[in-house]
Amino acid sequence: MVTYLVSVLNGLAMGSLLFAIALGLSLVFGMMDVLNLAHGAVYLVGAYIVVALTAGEGGLPAFVLAVLVAAAVGAVLGGVLAGLSRATPHHLDQALLTLGASLVVAETLSAVFGNEVHSVAAPASVAGSVSVFGQAYPVYRLLVIGFGAVLAVGVYVLVERSRLGSLIRATVADRGMVSALGINTGRVLVGVFAAGAGLAAVGGVLAGPILGAAPGLDEKVLLLALVVVVIGGLGSVRGALLGAVLIGQVQALGTALLPEYASFLIFGAMGLVLLVRPAGLLPARKAVPA
Amino acid sequence: MKATYETATSAADRTEAVDDSRPRRIARKALVAVPVLVLLAAAPLVLGVYPVSTMTRILAFAVLVLSVDLLTGVTGLPTLGQAAYFGAGAYTAALVGIHLTSDAAVQALAGLAAGLITAALTGWVAVRARGIVFLMLTLAIGESVHQVADTWPAVGAGNGLAGMPPISLFGGPPLTAAGFVYWWVLAVAVIVFAAVALVVRSPYGRTLRGIRDNEPRLRALGYRPALARYGVFCLAGAVAGTGGALWAAHARFVSPGDLAFEVAALALLSVVIGGAGSLWGPCLGAALVLLVRDNLSASIGGHGPLVLGLVFVAVVFLLPRGLAGLTAGLTAGLTAGLRRRHRKERIP
Amino acid sequence: MHVLSIDLRTLRTSTAVLALTTAAVVLSGCAGSSLDQSGGGQAGDAVKIGLLVPLSGVYAPLGEDMRNGFQLYLDQHAGKLGNRTVEVVSADEGEGPQTGVPAAQKLVTQDQATAVVGVVNSATALGLRDFFHESKKPLLVANAGADDITGARKSAYVWRTSFANGKVAAPLGPAVAKEVKGGVYLIAADYAAGREMVAGFRKTFEAAGGKVAGEKYTPFGKTQDFQPFLSAIRGSDAKAVYAFYAGAEAVSFVKQYQQFGLADSTPLYGTGFLTEGGVLDAQGDAAVGVKTSLHYSSELDTPRNKEFVDAYRKAYDEAPTVYAVQAYDAASVLDKALANAPGGTGDELVKALGTVGTVDSPRGGWSFDADHDAQQKYYLREVRSTGGTVVNAVLSELS
Repeated sequence: MVTYLVSVLNGLAMGSLLFAIALGLSLVFGMMDVLNLAHGAVYLVGAYIVVALTAGEGGLPAFVLAVLVAAAVGAVLGGVLAGLSRATPHHLDQALLTLGASLVVAETLSAVFGNEVHSVAAPASVAGSVSVFGQAYPVYRLLVIGFGAVLAVGVYVLVERSRLGSLIRATVADRGMVSALGINTGRVLVGVFAAGAGLAAVGGVLAGPILGAAPGLDEKVLLLALVVVVIGGLGSVRGALLGAVLIGQVQALGTALLPEYASFLIFGAMGLVLLVRPAGLLPARKAVPA
Repeated sequence: MKATYETATSAADRTEAVDDSRPRRIARKALVAVPVLVLLAAAPLVLGVYPVSTMTRILAFAVLVLSVDLLTGVTGLPTLGQAAYFGAGAYTAALVGIHLTSDAAVQALAGLAAGLITAALTGWVAVRARGIVFLMLTLAIGESVHQVADTWPAVGAGNGLAGMPPISLFGGPPLTAAGFVYWWVLAVAVIVFAAVALVVRSPYGRTLRGIRDNEPRLRALGYRPALARYGVFCLAGAVAGTGGALWAAHARFVSPGDLAFEVAALALLSVVIGGAGSLWGPCLGAALVLLVRDNLSASIGGHGPLVLGLVFVAVVFLLPRGLAGLTAGLTAGLTAGLRRRHRKERIP
Repeated sequence: MHVLSIDLRTLRTSTAVLALTTAAVVLSGCAGSSLDQSGGGQAGDAVKIGLLVPLSGVYAPLGEDMRNGFQLYLDQHAGKLGNRTVEVVSADEGEGPQTGVPAAQKLVTQDQATAVVGVVNSATALGLRDFFHESKKPLLVANAGADDITGARKSAYVWRTSFANGKVAAPLGPAVAKEVKGGVYLIAADYAAGREMVAGFRKTFEAAGGKVAGEKYTPFGKTQDFQPFLSAIRGSDAKAVYAFYAGAEAVSFVKQYQQFGLADSTPLYGTGFLTEGGVLDAQGDAAVGVKTSLHYSSELDTPRNKEFVDAYRKAYDEAPTVYAVQAYDAASVLDKALANAPGGTGDELVKALGTVGTVDSPRGGWSFDADHDAQQKYYLREVRSTGGTVVNAVLSELS
């Protein structure tokens, strides 16, 4: 029983990271109908930034610096991607474009950092383990859960309670109407795209001590984030949160309960959810029903 | 929400709009198709082993790409699951080759049946959805089938299924030379291409395009889009399965990688690069993608993906309607130019 | 007039297509007809060797080590093998047979390589078997470990300078059975190599009186978080763990094994790839204390190895890995064989390969067995931290 409680905890840690990564993907899709396949590459940029800045040392200042640099670089990348994908109206073209961009970014990273697997040490002050339910548990993962909770509350307040948030939600619901009210939706779109990408890059930094940095990690993360977004409902903050927590638990608790079927769990869960609710669990409210 | 990945008017449709009458169109197509076919058929007479086997792989892959185009380009359903049916066909053909007969025709039919049956069994999950949800459901199907192939000892699990003897035709001797295998693959690929072209031009094909462009209206007119979607999904599965059998006939080896995400993604990208909805555009896209991946990577120190990425970005900006759009634009321009000249000539 | 203009236009298109294709045909060059149902030979002074290693994808670090090892041998021997100048033709194996098989076919049919060296991926090696067998060209496998390569699917033309999964895992069994009092938990990535490793270990381990406390396979290439499995190990009361992972999964597994506190209570054993090369650098101190079996360690204390390590460090500024040695030895084997194959045909070469005898290798002397597999010593290694770097110290030779 205790074993399963530890798994639940672990699922929350993974869920927190997934939420940070999936949020931008979901909002961008909800607003612009753009499936940003470069989202995983942006995550990987964050992971390599923390590798570069904390090489050998696990100091807290270096780690905090990595978070800030990743947020900035991620936002710039997001802005560029937003500009690129706004230049072409077709969905398949946008998917092709962002995938092309992600290949270029990932190859550049592997040219700079090599193809080796890099690992990241957690800051020395939080690198140890504490006893949870009588088992050793890494302190860092507890911090990640804390970060996830803070992020969830922060984003909820921002998106659901602030003026800027209502603008964002309105743009998701009916971009044309918002535009007709004299608001520059283009700026909102680029802003959300950049913020979402920045968050993904920060996710890459924070996931560093858990998942490290290696070629190919971008695809795995992108796939998980896509599953989260689709399960939660496209364009919805609450959906992304629910999806992330759910997938985190399916990965951790599900694997603990059904280790023989571990490889089928994620897609099985997704298939099940989509069969029952094709639009996802908590889809964004839309002005015109699809 | 606009969740459907509609492709607006496809490149093929626009090409047709450029032209005026049906017989002329057919004559023009024949004039392009015949030399292309003759050249394709003549390739083994002049080319070495490696170029021919590269072309064989491209043809088999192009059949898979056709099946993706049928779903994505014609019906508007973006899919990442066709590699599963391609793999089902390839594994079935290899098993038939190892245990039953080396007859390539039997293997191809077995591959077709396997693709059809697998698609019929799994398709009902996916066809209820559209757009990105359809994409993700087909991805889930593809990954699940891949996982089965990767862990099932009866088909060699991760090591793949090896030991398939060379194919033979109509009771003849085993065909070990690349050129003969190529001719067989070319013949089947051309038949499949023609069959798909017929379907696309039939009333059923119009229904499919109707689903892509405006499904509610189609439903209002009394059509049953759900049934048509399931039908095209099964058909695409059969096409992909045939492609898989051709792949196996050439490689004589099948491994889980043949139905991995990468194959499905490259197939979808070939369709987008080629111009979704056109039939020959995606085939050219398939050739481009495979050539870049297999031939360029070693010469530039393993950075093939970088070139592939740049190609993708370039295609989006330089060829907004894919490779098919390129020639459609060219012919349109030519026609306009010729017409202008006519007018000048007529002015005395 | 109008009709004619359209015909003119289409004719022009057809002519263009024709011209283009003809150009392509001329440019592509002709190397043997595709309708020829038999293979050919290659004689003369120079010799072309195909090097098929991954330049892209997850196995690229291994490919780099192998290329370095092969090149080092050539550099040490003035670019000659068997007194013949070698032209190395590289191809990218990629991640699997989809890229690896065509690349090998290009090396043989287009580039006319006399022999091909390399191949990391087992499925690629098995997928290539029939091609090399029928082309009558030698393939020297310098890493791929599937038992079938020199077992059920062995060929006169396929030779292996590396290891077989079952054989490299087996010598550790009796050693663990002797050291551990109590059950041992077996865990590996769920793919062919993982299962073969566990089977090889389990067989000798149980024969030596060892007890298995549990056995789990984790989704291959998809597991980032091993906690559910680590919890199961903790719950099983196992006294030790045997694991097989490689690449990114090896890093995650060993690090998390330590983070979740298992390293202190439950010793970790494994097959050497768990802590080899770049993987060990990424694991760092988390790997200290892990014991593995392998046919090589850069720490091996023999004059032959010291000389090799020095030369390798000088050339590439890093310690050699087992992957580098496997490719280095492939070059060494080819050196001997080519000297006895003046005609340079595949048949001559495989005959010569059968007579190379003992290979003087940094890993110790080894020779080909009847199945063309490397018959070699295996070492028990332990990860130790010395002067800021972690290395695989050699504890003993395993029988």
